[in-house]
Amino acid sequence: MKTNAPIKALWPAVLLLALATPAAGLAQWLGYPTPGIPRLPSGAPDLKAPAPRTPDGKPDLSGMWFANVPSRDNCRTGDCIQEERMAREQINIGTKLPGGLPYTEWSKEQMKTRRANGGREDPHTYCMPPNFPRAWTLPQYMRILQTPSEMVVLHEFNEAYREVYLDGRPLPKNPNPTWNGYSTGHWEGDTLVIETNGIRDDMWLDIQGSPVTESARVTEKLKRVNFGLMQIEIAVDDPKAYTKPWSVTIEMAVQVDTQMLGEICNDNEQDVKLYKK
Amino acid sequence: MKPTSSPISAFVALCLVMVPAVWAHHSQSEYDSRKKVEVEGTVSKVEWKSPHAWIHVDVINDKGEKMNWHFELPSPNTLMRRGWTRDSLKPGDRIKVTGSPARNYPDIGIATAIKDSSGKALFTGVTEVYEPEPESKGAK
Repeated sequence: MKTNAPIKALWPAVLLLALATPAAGLAQWLGYPTPGIPRLPSGAPDLKAPAPRTPDGKPDLSGMWFANVPSRDNCRTGDCIQEERMAREQINIGTKLPGGLPYTEWSKEQMKTRRANGGREDPHTYCMPPNFPRAWTLPQYMRILQTPSEMVVLHEFNEAYREVYLDGRPLPKNPNPTWNGYSTGHWEGDTLVIETNGIRDDMWLDIQGSPVTESARVTEKLKRVNFGLMQIEIAVDDPKAYTKPWSVTIEMAVQVDTQMLGEICNDNEQDVKLYKK
Repeated sequence: MKPTSSPISAFVALCLVMVPAVWAHHSQSEYDSRKKVEVEGTVSKVEWKSPHAWIHVDVINDKGEKMNWHFELPSPNTLMRRGWTRDSLKPGDRIKVTGSPARNYPDIGIATAIKDSSGKALFTGVTEVYEPEPESKGAK
């Protein structure tokens, strides 16, 4: 009815206010509504909405992302509490590959030794940087910032960053190896294809210690399926560590109405001593 | 003088039931997930820092001795995203903690369940996952 029209018009504002109100009682901007995103009439984010696009028509991958792992209730202790979300690939990046990763003899020994040692040699335990592609699976949030010439991935762990150049430059020849290597990207349709070389020789891909080495060429294919979901195919061609190229696909879920929370690991790291006594 | 904790409020027991492995930013194999520790006592200190929050709890052990237990929690960021604030637990609060003990230290554990003085359960973030797969699954 016409007389209700002004009230109806106010609903979006009321809903946004309702969403924003909890923020007053929370730390920082946790719970503060993310502006400019598609929402349902209820005010909830419309995760099935089409993937956003940049002014030049490319898919816009910008946003905060975390492994697409559903929350589960843990009722083991008598009280049902949501479990911490954790990507299975964090433990073993090849967990969904039939037959597992095609380790070479050398890398299989590396992984077996590292696993037998309970991950106590894991660079991540020692607060070293979050190296890609492993970083996609870690239990911290990431934020993608995309421009026509560069994509930047911010990572909460150690407040780290990764740059992917989209300006057509070639990958470096004989690069000085680094934790993330050197990455360039180009669009194939709606998929961003990222090529990486120059990875250090002693990097881990997961907690059990699957290696990736300086001989690796890593290709990541990022496709934003809709507003809420992004698929990342990670392909590793590393003849030192694997007998043949392999690829896995992981899923990332967009995170809204929250913020990045930096996590400086060396602030109060206390686990290393527990391994050593 | 009023005791800070009930006698026999802490015990460590080898459970016959397998407790799932737990993982966080590291493998957490420094904890023995097959063992269980249950503690009731008074929070003496809260460390609200990355990469993991820690709570320290004064308890009276089964010998009647006062001791200080130290429990690892997820990162403050993870806790805040699950409703904690840095003031959720404060020195002086009475709590019950269930966890798994460290393999190499007698007074350190990882918390798998916490109840505050009102009996309310607090998120502890421990996840039931995914032991590294058996060797036979790995391909040549």
